[in-house]
Amino acid sequence: MTIHTDADAIRPAAATPQKPAIRRWRLASWAPVLVLVLVCAVIAVINPNFLTFGNFVRISQAVMIPLVLGLGATFIVLMGSVDLSLEGVLTLSAVILSMLVLNGANANDLGLLAIPIVILVGAGVGFVNGIIHVRFQVPSFMVTLGTWFIGVGIANAILGGTATRINDQFIRAFAIVRDPVVGLPWGVWVAIVCFLIALVIQNYTRLGRHIYALGGGEELAALSGIPAARVRILAFTIAGVFYAVGGILAAAQLGNGYSQIGVGRLFTTLTGVVVGGTALSGGQGGVQQTLVGVLIVVVLSNGMVLMGIAPSIQIGVNGLMIIAAVALSIDKKMMRIVK
Amino acid sequence: MNVRRTLALQLIDVEKRFPGVHALKNVSIDIMPSEVVGLIGENGAGKSTLMKILSGVYKPDSGEIRLGGKPTCFESAADANRHGIGMVFQEQSLLTNISVGENIYLGNEAQFTRLGMVNWKALYAAAARQLATVQVEVDPRTRTSDLDLATRQMVELAKALALEESAEAHLVILLDEPTSVLERAEIEILFARVRALKSRASFIFVSHRLDEVLELSDRIYIMKDGAVVADLPVAEANVTRLHQLMVGRSLQSEYYRESLQKPYRDEVVIEAEDLSLGHAYRGVSFKLHAGEILGIAGVIGAGREELTRTLVGFAPHETGSLRIGGRDCRLRTPAEAVDCGVGYIPRDRRVEGLVLFLSVAANITLANLGMLTRHGLIDRRQEQAIATTWVERLKVKTPSINTLCLNLSGGNQQKVVLAKWLNAESRVLILDHPTRGLDVGAKEEVYELIRAVTAEGVAVILTSDTLEETIGLSHTLLVMRDGTVTYRTDGRPGHKPTQVELIEHMV
Amino acid sequence: MIRKLTDAFGAESARQYLPFATLVVLVLSVGIAQPTFLEPATLLQLASDTAVLFILATGVTFVIMLGGIDLSLQSMASLATVVVAITTTRLGYGSFVLALAIGAVAGLLAGLVHVRLRIPSFIATLAIGGVLFSTALVLSQERAITMFETERGYQTWITGSLFGIPNLVLIGLVVLVSAHILQSHTAFGRYSAAIGAGEPAAYASGVKVDRQKVIAHVLSAFFAALAGVILAGRMSGGSPTLAEGLLLLSIAAVVVGGTAITGGVGSIWRTLVGALIISVVRIGMTFLGVNIFAQNIVFGAVLIIAVTITIDRSKIPIVK
Repeated sequence: MTIHTDADAIRPAAATPQKPAIRRWRLASWAPVLVLVLVCAVIAVINPNFLTFGNFVRISQAVMIPLVLGLGATFIVLMGSVDLSLEGVLTLSAVILSMLVLNGANANDLGLLAIPIVILVGAGVGFVNGIIHVRFQVPSFMVTLGTWFIGVGIANAILGGTATRINDQFIRAFAIVRDPVVGLPWGVWVAIVCFLIALVIQNYTRLGRHIYALGGGEELAALSGIPAARVRILAFTIAGVFYAVGGILAAAQLGNGYSQIGVGRLFTTLTGVVVGGTALSGGQGGVQQTLVGVLIVVVLSNGMVLMGIAPSIQIGVNGLMIIAAVALSIDKKMMRIVK
Repeated sequence: MNVRRTLALQLIDVEKRFPGVHALKNVSIDIMPSEVVGLIGENGAGKSTLMKILSGVYKPDSGEIRLGGKPTCFESAADANRHGIGMVFQEQSLLTNISVGENIYLGNEAQFTRLGMVNWKALYAAAARQLATVQVEVDPRTRTSDLDLATRQMVELAKALALEESAEAHLVILLDEPTSVLERAEIEILFARVRALKSRASFIFVSHRLDEVLELSDRIYIMKDGAVVADLPVAEANVTRLHQLMVGRSLQSEYYRESLQKPYRDEVVIEAEDLSLGHAYRGVSFKLHAGEILGIAGVIGAGREELTRTLVGFAPHETGSLRIGGRDCRLRTPAEAVDCGVGYIPRDRRVEGLVLFLSVAANITLANLGMLTRHGLIDRRQEQAIATTWVERLKVKTPSINTLCLNLSGGNQQKVVLAKWLNAESRVLILDHPTRGLDVGAKEEVYELIRAVTAEGVAVILTSDTLEETIGLSHTLLVMRDGTVTYRTDGRPGHKPTQVELIEHMV
Repeated sequence: MIRKLTDAFGAESARQYLPFATLVVLVLSVGIAQPTFLEPATLLQLASDTAVLFILATGVTFVIMLGGIDLSLQSMASLATVVVAITTTRLGYGSFVLALAIGAVAGLLAGLVHVRLRIPSFIATLAIGGVLFSTALVLSQERAITMFETERGYQTWITGSLFGIPNLVLIGLVVLVSAHILQSHTAFGRYSAAIGAGEPAAYASGVKVDRQKVIAHVLSAFFAALAGVILAGRMSGGSPTLAEGLLLLSIAAVVVGGTAITGGVGSIWRTLVGALIISVVRIGMTFLGVNIFAQNIVFGAVLIIAVTITIDRSKIPIVK
């Protein structure tokens, strides 16, 4: 059931050329980009160090994990659902990885083989999310809240209260070693590849289009023969894969698998998704928007450090900045109902 | 010698029951190839259950469905689609957040998919071809939300016809009240398309508008109380006979209760002078008296809808003056409109008229809760008493006043909306397509209620689906075109204008 | 399948009691395994341990009923603990009033940002929560603050008991009754349900939607501040992270009780039952000697199972 907003009351007659209408829509989705540019400009004026390559690398390192997490979260939000389990999956993945590769706690040394295993674990948790959500008709909020606890719990149980240091040099390389051409850490390239994969899934596969359809109107989509259950389960599974990749990158970056590795990442990620313009109600937005949104969030944090703002105040200032960013990007005319 | 052609679709002795309701009783229907069959009946007669069985949403309890002579069973709506049964829905079934082309092939993208990837060029080319068939000039890449409702309806038709590419049998397209959102000109286009497409498909045309059913159909089935009571070739049918078969009693000679149209009072309730709002409307002036029904006619884009929205507080006017009850008002929100005594009966009653998940009583008191609160607390007993009174006065059919509005029929939901405003003691009611989606019986009840409230001094501004309804009900008529009022005339019983007279000033 | 099972419980009125039934089953299960759990003293302790969670959850219920969310709860509560810990010496009982006032103002800000700037409540409250957290960090100079003898004297209304019933339980009851009246017997409560279940219709019916939303946010932050005040009393101190973890537990409490996360349907009673269920599970696990590392796992699993049972699917058309 579509809610006919005010926009419907002011209808152009069928004879009006369609171009202006398309242009209007495209403009609204460019707003977050303008915000990003604006933010960068302001920071650069205050501290020109912002524009150095070194800073660019710092930003890219800070972006890589939230971006990958955000890719997974975007698919879920596009369907109109929510996924709280990302911290749990990330923690579990990081911990399992740290236990499987060369580490300081046991004698395992699976090296590269650990990666597909961890990804499978992430996919598995996502799959469980999807199955419980669909078969038992439990709202995504609650299922993923539950699996969040379960994920962190299993990670804790595996760790037994300590942290596990990762000694595998290849894994650590993701975060430290830079590529010879551009100079970005390999982890950043992993994130870029993930982004491209997500983009392809979103725009070129049936699954991606069906996710949009579910977000746009689930009953109608189901009537057209879209297998809603299958789409949901697949979407959650794919999201789990992205979270697992995020966990691998996090473990690589920090060199440790420990139970707090995921703390705070849920809200950063979801903020990035929403600031980028993907609506929490579903059906609007996409991974390219999430990229912009995550950049805005990370650049803001980076900017505050550059501007010399004390860490304890940063969180608050971050909050105010986010409000400003969202206020500027939201196309108010289209959203009569804001929840 | 009679050559029997294979029937496109046949229902034989179909039965369907729901808890407490015998929805379909031994229904048998034959649809020949290349024919348009009308299906009429009051709400509750079984039409929508029948459509749902035909389109695969429900399965019959017993009986048979035969497609092209072969017994078939549909597992789902998508399955019915694969067999060549398409449906054009009454309430928009297109997803507004995706493109037109995607909507046309929603669920059927497989034919354009290779190795998991969708070939967009091919899909949009095919979509363009389907759109050309229904003569709609829209780029299939357009986002559906950018189209107006009439164009969307045509896209729905294109979507139903696109099934031809994947189905083997002759297509059967179910048209479920397709004209309720269309203006006259657009209806003509739709009918022309349907006639042109008869070579490829048969159509089942469900509608409450008997004149349109007569215009388009070759044959008409009439349903009443879950059974098919008659099957007439169109030559043998007329509105009176159809009405009688549907309802079981003759059409009241005065459908719009014109004899109840009393002269209005002198008191001026709304005085609008030179109202303007951007490009939507300019220089609109009128006086609305107590007990008067002011009908506004005009095509989409003429400014009617925007003017209506201004009067109920959704979009304040920019220049000009609006006096309600003597007070200067600029209505920035519906709350301000309600404070000025305006009540809005919206065209989309399930979204803007009622909170479906609240009870009948809660909805009736929603616009005037202040009356019920003592020291901040709601007096539940008084609420029940008030709700019961209104339910009785308006004869709302509901199991109890605590039933959720979700469970009421369309006509009864509309009565609850009306009760809400009457309870709020509104002195002006803005009726926006008040009988949309209601069957003949329910419409007549609404007309009687409108006459009753105007007799008590409530003023009404009416925007309606059909010119006939606007003319039949109104005391005064305004015609708008391109944002201005182009014609003003009296609508007293005996002096009613003809449709032609008004159309002249509308286009 | 599950729908059919719970539908089998028949009439809507019977379904309403599912959350309560779940609670009873849980309590009995723990009680059978460990009979000391069922002693009045233990149960009273359970009730008073639930007080803080319940008050937080009550506040957020108001916002959820309208269809929004409040993510600033735990930052607000933590800030309140800091405010109380710092100002009790100077202001005495005034410190509580100050904390509550700050709560009301924070809620007002969040509400205004939400309705005036058209920012989703998710973002608005998350951002305000960040501001509150920073404030708490600065005020406390990033450390925990302990309250000593004289200060504790002011906390006795929280830590004491009346006729054997812990004051916490009594405070909880007062909150329960007043919140319930607000939610179910005032125009505000009715408008909230209408906005949550059908905002366009409520708006068109003349409900001042923006005002209601702001009020709901004020209430939510106010109750969060109250929870913080109570927490400070119990812990005899304050810190910027004292309420950590309570945000999601509060929201979980609301949903487990059967209130839809999208709003429109629900009540404070349901929140009470939900908060108790959460408490029983957490405390019950300790009673049953569940391995500490496994507790999160059990909690998550029980959460999912509880919601599967308690959700009133007749009021939620599509499960998202």
